[in-house]
Amino acid sequence: MKQVILNKAEVYQNEYFILESIDKLPKSNSEKVIVTVKQWLENSTILKQKKYIGIKLNSDESINFVKKDINYFKIIQFNFLTFKDGRPFSEAKKLRVEFKFKNEIRASGHILPDQYIFLLRCGFNSVEIESAKKKYWLDCLKMDSGLYYQP
Amino acid sequence: MYQYSEKDKQIVKNRTKEFLFQVKRRINGDLTEEEFKPLRLMNGLYLQLHAYMLRVAIPYGELSYIQLKKLAEISEKYDKGYGHFTTRQNIQFNWPKLEDVPKILEELADVEMHAIQTSGNCIRNISCDHLAGINNEEVEDPRPWCEIIRKWSTFHPEFSFLPRKFKIAVIACDTDRAAMKVHDIGLKLVKKKNEVGFEVFVGGGQGRSPFIAKKINDFVKKKDLLNYLEAILSIYNEMGRRDNIYKARIKILINELGEKKLKSLVENKFKKFADKKLSLKENEIQEIKNYFKLPISGPIKSEIPLKKNKQYTNWLNQNVIEHKLSGYSIIMVSLKPYNQPPGDATANQMKTLSKIAQEFSYGEIRVTHEQNLVLPHVKNSDLFNVWNQLKSINLATPNIGLITDAICCPGMDYCALATARSIPISQKISRYFKNQSIQEKIGKIKIKISGCINACGHHHVGNIGILGLDRNGEESYQISLGGSADENTNVGQIVGPSFPEKELMKAITTIIKTFENNKKTKNENFLTVFNRIGIDPFKKDLYETSNSK
Amino acid sequence: MAKKLKGDFFFLSANDLKTGCVVYYDGKSWSSKIEKAKKISRNQIEKYENIAKKFENKCIIISPLFVELTDEGKIKKLRDIIRYKGLTIKI
Repeated sequence: MKQVILNKAEVYQNEYFILESIDKLPKSNSEKVIVTVKQWLENSTILKQKKYIGIKLNSDESINFVKKDINYFKIIQFNFLTFKDGRPFSEAKKLRVEFKFKNEIRASGHILPDQYIFLLRCGFNSVEIESAKKKYWLDCLKMDSGLYYQP
Repeated sequence: MYQYSEKDKQIVKNRTKEFLFQVKRRINGDLTEEEFKPLRLMNGLYLQLHAYMLRVAIPYGELSYIQLKKLAEISEKYDKGYGHFTTRQNIQFNWPKLEDVPKILEELADVEMHAIQTSGNCIRNISCDHLAGINNEEVEDPRPWCEIIRKWSTFHPEFSFLPRKFKIAVIACDTDRAAMKVHDIGLKLVKKKNEVGFEVFVGGGQGRSPFIAKKINDFVKKKDLLNYLEAILSIYNEMGRRDNIYKARIKILINELGEKKLKSLVENKFKKFADKKLSLKENEIQEIKNYFKLPISGPIKSEIPLKKNKQYTNWLNQNVIEHKLSGYSIIMVSLKPYNQPPGDATANQMKTLSKIAQEFSYGEIRVTHEQNLVLPHVKNSDLFNVWNQLKSINLATPNIGLITDAICCPGMDYCALATARSIPISQKISRYFKNQSIQEKIGKIKIKISGCINACGHHHVGNIGILGLDRNGEESYQISLGGSADENTNVGQIVGPSFPEKELMKAITTIIKTFENNKKTKNENFLTVFNRIGIDPFKKDLYETSNSK
Repeated sequence: MAKKLKGDFFFLSANDLKTGCVVYYDGKSWSSKIEKAKKISRNQIEKYENIAKKFENKCIIISPLFVELTDEGKIKKLRDIIRYKGLTIKI
């Protein structure tokens, strides 16, 4: 299924690729790579040298595992194993408020367009979704009144 | 009462539009049931045994006469002409069609009502003392705080996909009329050194494993309330269990971590990461408080009409309470008449009650967590007139606080989760103990009936708690004794093996007999006697007598 | 759906998606008339589970389930009787 990235209303192709295994790590520094927590912990020395490196956490993994290294990440991607798992909302908030993370936070996996506004308000910048469903996501964005009870 | 601002109106309107969009996508297949379910739950729409069920929010139990009239109209137009008031002070319609729900929500929005967050794994309706603002005990009116918390918790981006549902209650005096200690968070307004703040309790709940909430903070300043709640919720969102829905509430988390550890996590988060923007300013608080000023300017000279009418006199004694302002009374409207399912009100009853409230109670009605209604400000001189009007619609049953004023969940007649029926049991008890003198002789007693282990009927905290089970395909009822949901909150003790439905009434009457035989004075109530004699005499009378046959 | 089912014969039931009404599968479509409900034997459960899924995907029904029948073909469980007959109390 073709995936696209949505950043608010902007649609584009994913500029990052998920690293299959560490031996497939590209030598060039212009490649944008996302690794798993396990890959990072096992190979952080090499990975820290990369210019564009990101980390992917499943919704049941906490950023606490890699909190000392967050400044190396250009992107932190939370992969929702189920849309019902609301932990990444708190993780993203924690990244922005406690860890002062300024780079990109992305949601992927099993997420619903109806969660889009909540994701953006918690500090997510972008979502990775099925291209076929982008209309619904953009509709949800359009329907948002911008009126919220929380700061 | 609170009036919607333009922002409130817009938010609810928007939500209605969003839900319409979600329903369209569901009906055309763009959303699977699995994806639609949490969305419809966040709008209070359940699928039950026979049909969908829509749970409409009545924030902290406060209704205007206009809103009550609209609820009556909705029940007629889209449902079967009645609604059911719940133990969380909301109302349920049992027969709406999915395709009608967007229209129902639109009509509700016209009168500043909605079904937002009355279900789902989010923060639910805030419960409150049904005598808030009109009793002399309270430190201050808890309702503005319920409204402040309601706003903060509505469409909270971080807390809309919690491990499980989350229930908050607010009280403001030592007497607890809101079952505060069996809520996930219980807040009690207190005065310490001339300053009003909150005692914070966490981890209460019923369901499969009842727990009484533990106090984690003696005094949270008013301005810090929302930040403190954020700290608790964010820790719960991160750490609450998601592997087992029966172990996902915060009561389990606090039990597993320990009170001390949870408290220190909360305090740490609160101290380090309080959001300045969530800090409440005095003028913001006052703005909300202004909505809750009493519609009455002060006490008046108004006498209660005395009539040589036994029914009226009984009703005065049982259902009418002194208002904090003299010359006024508070009327408890019993939704437990002897031939109607407990907690239900027909469209006609709601319409007439709306007119009564408009004329005699400054347009205000309240819902109690014990499934009754309240007319909060009635001039004493109007009492006989109001009684007559209530009587004409079968809402003047003089049984508030007595044995036939039971809490009862919908049970297997309605609910997909139920293991037994509960309404027929409450009706049997109601018919058996109908006699007013017998009821008054028994005195204050709280029977609470649940049709399954989820405890929506609050059986754990009933003086007599009844839990309906399925034993080999037959309905069977387990009895617990000595529970209480007031300021001395206590979980009842199971008295012994469950009773098949046919033997239940005999068991109940035996329990009442045991209680009566052990009274020391005429005025002792059930709980007093139980607390003195313990469960053994009841066990003996229930089980040993039958065994010795 | 088919976990812990007891007995040899069943009806396939569900709720109508749009109205929420209780319906029974009659072999071709869904109706609230239980007299038309198709009697399904235990060895056909999987086949009818798949049929139910097809109707679910077409957004006709939700929450399909099998109703246990006695040997005489009557509804066995109280819950299913209430689902069919309606409330046991007067409203």
